[in-house]
Amino acid sequence: MSQGYRAVGWNPQKKTYDRVLGLGLLLYLGLFVGVGFALHPTATAETLLLRGLGTSAFLLLHGILCIGPLARLDRRFLPLLYNRRHLGVSMFLLALVHSVFALIQFHALGDQNPLVSLFVGNTRFDSLAHFPFQPLGAAALAILFLMAATSHDFWLANLSAPVWKALHMLVYLAYALLVMHVGLGILQAETSPLWAGLVLAGLALVLGLHLVAGWRERGLDRELAPGDAGLVDVCAIDEIPEGRARVATISGERVAVFREGLTVTAVSSLCQHQNGPLGEGRILDGLITCPWHGYQYDPCSGRSPAPFTERVPTFRVVLRSGRVLVDPTPSPAGTEQVPACAEQPQ
Amino acid sequence: MYASLVNLGLAGLGIYAVLGLAFAVAFAVRGAQAIDPAAEQGTWGFRVLIVPGAAALWPLLLLRWVRGDGEPPEERGAHRDGARGGGA
Repeated sequence: MSQGYRAVGWNPQKKTYDRVLGLGLLLYLGLFVGVGFALHPTATAETLLLRGLGTSAFLLLHGILCIGPLARLDRRFLPLLYNRRHLGVSMFLLALVHSVFALIQFHALGDQNPLVSLFVGNTRFDSLAHFPFQPLGAAALAILFLMAATSHDFWLANLSAPVWKALHMLVYLAYALLVMHVGLGILQAETSPLWAGLVLAGLALVLGLHLVAGWRERGLDRELAPGDAGLVDVCAIDEIPEGRARVATISGERVAVFREGLTVTAVSSLCQHQNGPLGEGRILDGLITCPWHGYQYDPCSGRSPAPFTERVPTFRVVLRSGRVLVDPTPSPAGTEQVPACAEQPQ
Repeated sequence: MYASLVNLGLAGLGIYAVLGLAFAVAFAVRGAQAIDPAAEQGTWGFRVLIVPGAAALWPLLLLRWVRGDGEPPEERGAHRDGARGGGA
């Protein structure tokens, strides 16, 4: 959380995550080059490594894009989301090395500046079969650089979570550019339909998972209007599982209404860290715990426990005849609220 | 024409990057804590990690440093804005 910054806040889970990631990537590259030599004995090591790095980055990007919707569809995928930033930085480094290799192999041997050659070496923009696909990869790499360079929590705090999140949504533009980069590259270098089919299958997987996850949440962003006395009727108290939240859109954003025992509290559902979905979290040790990275908030005040300083807006809650009513006017982040308390069953 | 534009664009990008790198080193050593108190106790590893981002976003950071922003910007959003505009 928000204390003195370190390069990486290592813990046993992150170390395991990164070890598995590193070993997996080394295994993939070794297999790609080994199998490549077996199938194409005339291929050079540089070409195989170039393709191995490119395909590993592209595959990793698919994984990164699928983790979000998978975690929304099934909570068992949440541990993968925990350290997604390391996946992103690793993917950028693989793409960077792939790009440097490509620049050396295809553009460094002429009398032109390799970077200039990358953009002017092929200008067949009017031909699909000869379209200059390499500049598309360069544009995607620029976006991935910006994302990797701003992945530290320092940038999250200093750009603010909504701006940081908007910047990192550019990953979808990078993905679109890379689908074209890889698709057009395959079109120009391969005759087998297998590779083009795999790219399309990957695209269908990413799009499909996002559509299904969006469909599952389609009702959540429908704004609830206030009723009598200006309060919003969210649900019956029994509909909120113990230690968890019911999410409703009130005053333009999602509100998480938590129940712990007989008490009910409500906070804005956006975690101050990466705007994670607090409403999908649960109460652990008396604190609302974000499912993404474990940031915690007091359910009554919306404040992180000292020495941390994160705060989220809170809402006044009233219980009437077993219904949970929320005052739609948000209180400033960190404002203490008196929790609504249900009567003890007789 | 296209080649001239590419040359011009890459030259501009090169100048931006060189200026950004020079700024980023100074920012990592002195500027980060000037705009964010949590960076005061930041480790050297953290300072090295923010160099690429500072080189990319240097005009924004230079503005904040010169302006003397002592704190990170306040987060915006419908609830936070709603609370500022007349909440409890």
